[in-house]
Amino acid sequence: MDKLAQSIFKYRWVTIVTVILLTAFLGYQIKDLRINSDVISALPDDDPDAALFKEIGSKFGGNDMGMIILETDNIFKTEVLEHVQQLTDTLRMTDGISSVSSLTDIIDIKGDDYGIEIGKLVDEWDLPDTPEELEKLKQRVFSKDLYKGSIVSEDGTATLIIFTIQDEADIKSVANSIREKAESLNLPEKLYYIGSPMLVTYISELMYSDLLRLIPVAFILIAVVLYLSFNSKRGVILPLLTAAIAITWTLGTMVLFGYEMSMISNNIPIILLAVGSAYSIHVLNKINYYRETDGKRAIFLALTYIIIPVFLAALTTIIGFISFIFGAYLTIIKDFGIFTALGTFFTCLLSLFFVPAIISSLSLKKVKNVAKNKKKENSALSNYLLIPLTNLLHKHPKYILTTWSILILISIGGIFLIERSVDIQEYFKKDNPTRAAENIMINKFGGSKPIYVLFRGDMQSPEVLKLMIETEKYMEKSPDVVSTQSVADLIAEINNVMGEGYKIPDERDKIEQLWFLLDGNDIMPRFVTDELDEGIILSKFVSPDNKAKKVFANYMNAFIQNHSSEDCNIQITGMPFVDVTMDKSLLKSQMGSLSIAIFFVIILVGLIMRSLPKGIYATLPIIVAIVILFGVMGYAGISLNIATVLVASVALGIGIDYSIHVISYFNHSFKITGDLNKAIEDTIMISGRAIVINVFSVSGGFLVLLFSEMVPLQYFGLLIALSMVGSSLGALTLLPVILILVNRKKLIRS
Amino acid sequence: MIISVIFFTENFTLNAQDAVTLLQEMDNLMLAPKDKQGTVKIILTNKSGKEKVREAEMKQKGRDKRLYRYTQPESQAGIATLSLPDNIMWLYMPAFKKPKKISLLAKSQAFTGTDFSYEDMESKSYSERYTPTLLNTNEDTYELELIPKSEKSKYSKIILNIDKVNYYPLTMEYFNKGNQKIKEATYKYQKTGNYWNAGEVTMTNLKKEHSTKIVFTNIIFDQDLSDDEFTVENLVPAPE
Repeated sequence: MDKLAQSIFKYRWVTIVTVILLTAFLGYQIKDLRINSDVISALPDDDPDAALFKEIGSKFGGNDMGMIILETDNIFKTEVLEHVQQLTDTLRMTDGISSVSSLTDIIDIKGDDYGIEIGKLVDEWDLPDTPEELEKLKQRVFSKDLYKGSIVSEDGTATLIIFTIQDEADIKSVANSIREKAESLNLPEKLYYIGSPMLVTYISELMYSDLLRLIPVAFILIAVVLYLSFNSKRGVILPLLTAAIAITWTLGTMVLFGYEMSMISNNIPIILLAVGSAYSIHVLNKINYYRETDGKRAIFLALTYIIIPVFLAALTTIIGFISFIFGAYLTIIKDFGIFTALGTFFTCLLSLFFVPAIISSLSLKKVKNVAKNKKKENSALSNYLLIPLTNLLHKHPKYILTTWSILILISIGGIFLIERSVDIQEYFKKDNPTRAAENIMINKFGGSKPIYVLFRGDMQSPEVLKLMIETEKYMEKSPDVVSTQSVADLIAEINNVMGEGYKIPDERDKIEQLWFLLDGNDIMPRFVTDELDEGIILSKFVSPDNKAKKVFANYMNAFIQNHSSEDCNIQITGMPFVDVTMDKSLLKSQMGSLSIAIFFVIILVGLIMRSLPKGIYATLPIIVAIVILFGVMGYAGISLNIATVLVASVALGIGIDYSIHVISYFNHSFKITGDLNKAIEDTIMISGRAIVINVFSVSGGFLVLLFSEMVPLQYFGLLIALSMVGSSLGALTLLPVILILVNRKKLIRS
Repeated sequence: MIISVIFFTENFTLNAQDAVTLLQEMDNLMLAPKDKQGTVKIILTNKSGKEKVREAEMKQKGRDKRLYRYTQPESQAGIATLSLPDNIMWLYMPAFKKPKKISLLAKSQAFTGTDFSYEDMESKSYSERYTPTLLNTNEDTYELELIPKSEKSKYSKIILNIDKVNYYPLTMEYFNKGNQKIKEATYKYQKTGNYWNAGEVTMTNLKKEHSTKIVFTNIIFDQDLSDDEFTVENLVPAPE
């Protein structure tokens, strides 16, 4: 270690120049960092439901469809129709939109014995303006599934203006101009925006806003904590500088490897700021501690002692992040794991090489005063917290043990109350307009979660089309499916118009010829492929409840098993199915990543301590903190979701550091003094102080996430902060008690 | 000197001969044959470049009687449409035996999968439908702006380029009410017998990135086609 410490000092200028160059290079890459807020693209390809869902979404164009919901007391009024028409015209004239369909612009085919009338449901040049005409329109709308519940809500109070965005158009700018133009019409009705393009744009706006607002807040907050702890500019600037450089490197590397910023990796800067500043704090703390004697020597001494603990602390945190790679369902979580791990590695490197390099290149004269000042400053911390704590540990170790045991028991009860949630809507705050739009879709348009039933077979065969109709009827018997649509409905409809009744013709040539009337219709690519070898039933699922989704999945699978054949293969997928798998995987991913993290942390700490029992002692406080964390989640009703599922492993990775510091210092001191009480006292006074400062700065950093626009991230921040407090309390009370009890026995035995 | 005189006279004639006359010249050229007959190939190309081909035998008398009998694709062979004045169309599908009368109430609707709307295919002449203004006189072409007379038109204007010598259309650019160019058509005219006729017309929908190319072959003019050819009864082929 001595040699390494010397090299760090010797090559300090090389380090500084390398860091500057790398930062410039990687910082330049960040200009190309793109935000990808598309939830669907985060679904994994190795889950058949998700892969099929993605495939159908792109093949049948569901992903580029958006909607404006217009809500009022009654749609069937002339002025409301006028407003729908204004919106329709506005959308049609917006760049990047390829088609628009609405109440005032939708085809209506009527047929009787005399012939077929191809027209529009509403004549936009002669809008219905008498009560009779409006009533007639209402009757017509409610008589056809094509309109009822799909263009006009079943209660007649809301209507949709549906649009498709061109392939190569920039979704975000189109979505924004849609919103701006629609708002500028100043319509008296309420407008909501929904559909994949609008949602993706909205989430990415929230992400930008989070990035722009939260990072500066986190910087300032941590700066304040650091200033209070170190009372020196250096103590504030160096940790923040290291964190900033590490963030730059991490984001730059993401760009270099072609990754985009996701709704999860959006937090990487905040996390690295919180985690990353901690390592520099330890290094600085140690240098300051030794600096009271001699400047340059202080750096050697500090480094010799601190390299291993900081490296270990980083390694365990990295394990916590890496554990997401195994068992995480969403690819964005795996990516998040990889890059936060990498960022942690960067901060560790920077704290060990760059921070000492900078310090040794600066003047060391002033430091002595600072160190003296600092001692005074921190005496409050010692007097009111650390000294009483040491006394408590000596006098009542068993009380401490009992208190923890009770806490654990209560928390275990809470674990059974934890609920899981995979609903993307929970990403938004309660007052968010997207949630209101979602509710309208659920309550008035039969749901918002798409279901697709894919038929692979000859789309012009009477058998296949009849099977589609049969499947639709079966689906509609489920309480959670309101309506279904497919090309089979269109064929039956046109057959009816031709005077042959609402049914699929028995003869293939009739179907082929009916197709002549459908060819080129905007709606066709939504239902069948060009090759006519695949077609889908489009439907929506009403209930957000996961149990209902599972029941429906079983209900449909039974039907598919009986009806899927070689000539016509049937598969079903959709958001409800993806949700069920995601829900299952949440638990699997939680158990998987947590057990991997615990296992490796115990092994690693055991190896370092050269004793497996010590590895287990060290891990106990953080495991206890995690049990309490889950207990709090259960009692407080905070659900396990794609963000909160990350908390336990991250908390383990960061929180274990406290134990490592405590055990390392205890061993160091116990070896020198041979006095158990003195060793505990030293540990609490020295390591305890560093830990308390660290808890404040790390928790402070994570608590900034409370101001996030996205709900799961608020909980993520809160829960991590809670775990940090829990694991530090564990490391400062439970762990010393265990150390006292274990070593006392040893002392007695010897 | 001589050249400038020619230019002068040409400009002079232009001023006298306004945009209205130019458009009428084009209408006259397009409506010159009494009747015509030939093979029509319709090639639909979607945005990924995939083509669909239809073929039909076409007969037309005057400007508003038109009969299409489809021969390709196989599955739609025998389907026939008869367009008559006043936006009436009769459709015959062999599998359904009886012809059906179709009333077209929505002119913006695409004509059976092509990029032509019923508005584009209307039998009324351009002069009847649009008010022209001359925008530019180019080396080989006149550029006209056509404003629809009917407020129901989907277009705010059409920019038309016509051949300076023979007055046949070369390109038409269609603008929506937001003044965005949404479609464009290119024409390839050729002279067959006494008449100039479009051997090829391509209409591209810029928003949908979809195009329709219509190729006319084996065109014969003025055969004195009888009105009986354009009756509903005649849509149903005589039993063999």
